[in-house]
Amino acid sequence: MIATIVQGKALWQTVVASVVAGLGVTLLFSLGIWGTSQFVELSRSDRQLAASAAGIVAALAFLAVAAAVIIGIVVMTHK
Amino acid sequence: MSADVILVIVVATALAFDFTNGFHDTANVVATSISTGAARPSVAIGFASLLNFVGAFISISVAATVAKDVVNAEVITPTIVFAGLIGAIAWNLVTWYFGLPSSSSHALIGGVVGSAVAAAGLDAVLAEGLVGKVLIPAVVAPIVAFLVAGLAIGFSYRVVGKQRPGIVTRGYRYGQIVSSGLLALAHGTNDAQKTMGVITLALIAGGKLGAEADPPTWVIVSSATAIALGTYSGGWRIIKTTGTRIIKMDAAQGFSAQGAGAAVILASTHFGFPLSTTHVINGGVMGSGAAKRLSAVRWGVAGNIVVAWVLTLPAAALIGGLTYGFTRIFGTGALGPVLVTLMALSLITAAFARRARQGAPVEAVGG
Repeated sequence: MIATIVQGKALWQTVVASVVAGLGVTLLFSLGIWGTSQFVELSRSDRQLAASAAGIVAALAFLAVAAAVIIGIVVMTHK
Repeated sequence: MSADVILVIVVATALAFDFTNGFHDTANVVATSISTGAARPSVAIGFASLLNFVGAFISISVAATVAKDVVNAEVITPTIVFAGLIGAIAWNLVTWYFGLPSSSSHALIGGVVGSAVAAAGLDAVLAEGLVGKVLIPAVVAPIVAFLVAGLAIGFSYRVVGKQRPGIVTRGYRYGQIVSSGLLALAHGTNDAQKTMGVITLALIAGGKLGAEADPPTWVIVSSATAIALGTYSGGWRIIKTTGTRIIKMDAAQGFSAQGAGAAVILASTHFGFPLSTTHVINGGVMGSGAAKRLSAVRWGVAGNIVVAWVLTLPAAALIGGLTYGFTRIFGTGALGPVLVTLMALSLITAAFARRARQGAPVEAVGG
């Protein structure tokens, strides 16, 4: 009875999805900011190779954030 | 004829509720962006309004829960739905007037449950749906938002802690444009669906739709429009409470709070849980503040908000029940709802006039 009332599976999936999406997107975005900051710093000190690597990290992180947002919305619209 | 008049009043009242919901709730969505300087108020509110409109079209899972899983549609009449809506609107306006970010969603569900119990007894309530899809998620969701926002800001500070503050702040401010947009979208999809659900419930009760019907397109479009207009029109008092009085936050905290809130609301909406967006975003705001420093959260203000949350369901239920009792004095026709509507419009006009005379926003109670 209690198990029926508490929508355990749906609630658990909600919690897991919230944690993965909330933490994941924030972490990826922070990584993007870190990469951007490093890119600026390293470019100023003429370390072009390291700056490019940081720039690539930033670009990939921001792309991953964009992908996560789009996937989230697509999942919402397809039930 | 009388039944159709009541149905028209119910639809108009539901859309008015949706408007007050946008008016009352969406301040929660934009407050953090405004308080961290990520967006100017006019831009943030315009953006939130647009995305609330779009969000209303994303899903109908929550509408189905409100229409079919909370009260027994077989014993519900349009007048019961009307009385529930009046309970919700009245409580929304009281909390708006005092600047308290209470839950419009719980006001709506409390109002409908209260009027249904007044009309048909406890049998009118579907305990399984009410507890499993409303009450338990209502407790779990803000806690999850609190924890996710807290963990997210902790990790974020570790990642960017040694970087130049200027780039970091600008970065998170840009991020807040996305996270506040997602939050507005989430708000639109979860909250507008509650109105869709209530209108659908009234249409089922009035015999205009089958018991298993989904919300018609005109219901979705009108609900989306009402919540978007409400969002655009108000919310300044509650922006003050949520944006600066719970914690003084930086852009990274704002981003974490909004990201956590959006993730929780969107995931819950997918599974049809009619959450309080107010509870969730405030949970996120408190989590991002507490993770940095426990004393950064103004727990007195947070306590007042919690009191408002606890009071919302019973207060709206009481007003809904009393409203139903009042309408029945005039029989089962349209006279009762018409009189209540006129009284409600008078009270609302008086409240707005009083606020306009006061000018500056009122401080949140007990701040």
